[in-house]
Amino acid sequence: MKLKAIDITLAAMFAALMAVGSNITSFIIIGGVPITLTTFLCVMAGLILGSRLGALSMTVYTLIGLVGAPVFANFTGGPSVLVKPTFGFVLSYILVAYVVGKIVEKKSSKKMFLFAALIGLVINYFVGTNWMYYAYKFWASAPEGFTYKMAWAWMVAPLPKDIIFTIIAGVMAPRIQKVVSKSYIGKRSVA
Amino acid sequence: MNNMLIIGQYVPGSSFIHRLDPRTKITIIFFFVFFIFFANSLLSYGILTLFSVGSALATRIKVSYIIKGLTPVWFLILFTFLLHLLVTKDGEVLFRVFTYPIYTGAIIQGTAISLRFFLLILVTSLLTLTTSPIEITDAIENLLHPLKKIKFPVHELALMMSISLRFIPTLLQETEKISKAQASRGVDFKTGPIKERIQAVVPLLVPLFISAFKRAEELAMAMEARGYQGGEGRTKLRELKVGPLDWVALLCFILIIVALFVTRK
Repeated sequence: MKLKAIDITLAAMFAALMAVGSNITSFIIIGGVPITLTTFLCVMAGLILGSRLGALSMTVYTLIGLVGAPVFANFTGGPSVLVKPTFGFVLSYILVAYVVGKIVEKKSSKKMFLFAALIGLVINYFVGTNWMYYAYKFWASAPEGFTYKMAWAWMVAPLPKDIIFTIIAGVMAPRIQKVVSKSYIGKRSVA
Repeated sequence: MNNMLIIGQYVPGSSFIHRLDPRTKITIIFFFVFFIFFANSLLSYGILTLFSVGSALATRIKVSYIIKGLTPVWFLILFTFLLHLLVTKDGEVLFRVFTYPIYTGAIIQGTAISLRFFLLILVTSLLTLTTSPIEITDAIENLLHPLKKIKFPVHELALMMSISLRFIPTLLQETEKISKAQASRGVDFKTGPIKERIQAVVPLLVPLFISAFKRAEELAMAMEARGYQGGEGRTKLRELKVGPLDWVALLCFILIIVALFVTRK
C-alpha cells in the first residue's frame, strides 16, 4: 500500500482524536458514568479512512499508548497497561476499524454505514469482554465465583451510551464522508 | 497538564540508562521478559531482582516516583499472592490462620509468581521512564525495518506516531477551547437531562472533526510542498547511535542471563 502524505496525516489525527476521546470526561459528564468516545471515534475511523488505513490508525493509537504517552482513559499509558484486564478493548479497536471499513467499502449506502457501525460495536464488546474475562482468569487466576456472566454484567452500564453514540457515528459518517470527498482529502489514494 | 501529555511518563535525566540507545533498551527488555520465565531457584530470582532493582536505582529517578508509576498493578500483584496463599496446597503446613492451613509451598509459589510479575512491570516501565515516546518511536521504526519486506508500512507507521504525539496536546487544547466557546453560546455540558447532554456532544464533535481534518490537510500540503516522497532515502533529524556504553550494557545483560542459567535448578 502506497501511502500519500494526506493518508499519513489523517490517520495520525484520528489517533490523536482517540486520545482526546478517551479522556473527554474532563469536558463533559453524562449521567454520572465517565464516558469515553473511543468506540465512536474508532467506528468513525473505519468508516472514513477505510479498512486498512483505519486499522493502521488504531495501531498507531495503541502503540503511542504503549510507549508511554498517556492516551488511554484517565490519562494512563505505558507498558503496564498490557496487564490491565481492559486492554482487550484497546486491541479490539484495530479489528473494529478494519471490519467496519471493509463493510463500507463493499457497499456504501446510508443503511450500510449504520449497519457497519453497529457491527463494530458488537466486535468491540465481544473482544473486550472476553479478553477481560480471560485476563482476570489468567493474570489473577480469579476465584470460582467469577463467572463469564459476571464479566458481561459489568458491561451493561456503558452499553446504552455506546449504542447511542454508535448510531450517531453511523448517521454522521456518511455526511462527513460526502463533504470530505469533495475536498483535498478526498483526492487521496483510497488505501 | 499539557506538559505531562507530551512527555508522558518520561523523566528527563542524564544517567547511564538514559543515555543508552533506545534500541539497546528495547532489546534487553524483550529478552528479559522472555528469560524471566526460566528462573526457578532462589538464586536465579535473586540475580534477576538484583539486575532490575539495580537498573531502577541507576536511572536516578526518585524511587517514590517509580513506585507511583506502578500503581495500576500493585493490586494485581497483591491479589495474585493472596490467591496462591489460599489455593496452593504443597509442602507442609506452616501455620494456621484461625483454622485455615497455610502451606510452605503456597508461600514459595505465591512469592515467586508475584515477584516475577513485579519484575516484569518494573523493567518494562523503566523503558518509558527513561526514554521519551519520540525516541522509542524512532527505535521501533528501526527495529521493525525487516517488516518492510512483507509490505508493512513501517516508516509511515512511525511517522504517524510522531505526528500523533505532536498533535495530541494541540487537539486537547482545541477541545477545551471549543467546549468553552459552545458553553458561552449556551450549550450545557455538565447539567441537565441525559438526552440534552448527549445532544451537547454534537456541537463539540463537529468543530473538533473539522479542525482535525483541517490540520491534517494543511500538514499534508506542507509535506508535499517540501517534497515528501515516503521513506526511501530520507535522512533523519535524530540519528540513533550505538556507542560503547550500549555494548557494555548488552555484555552485562548477557552475563546476567548466563548467571541465570548457571544458578537455575
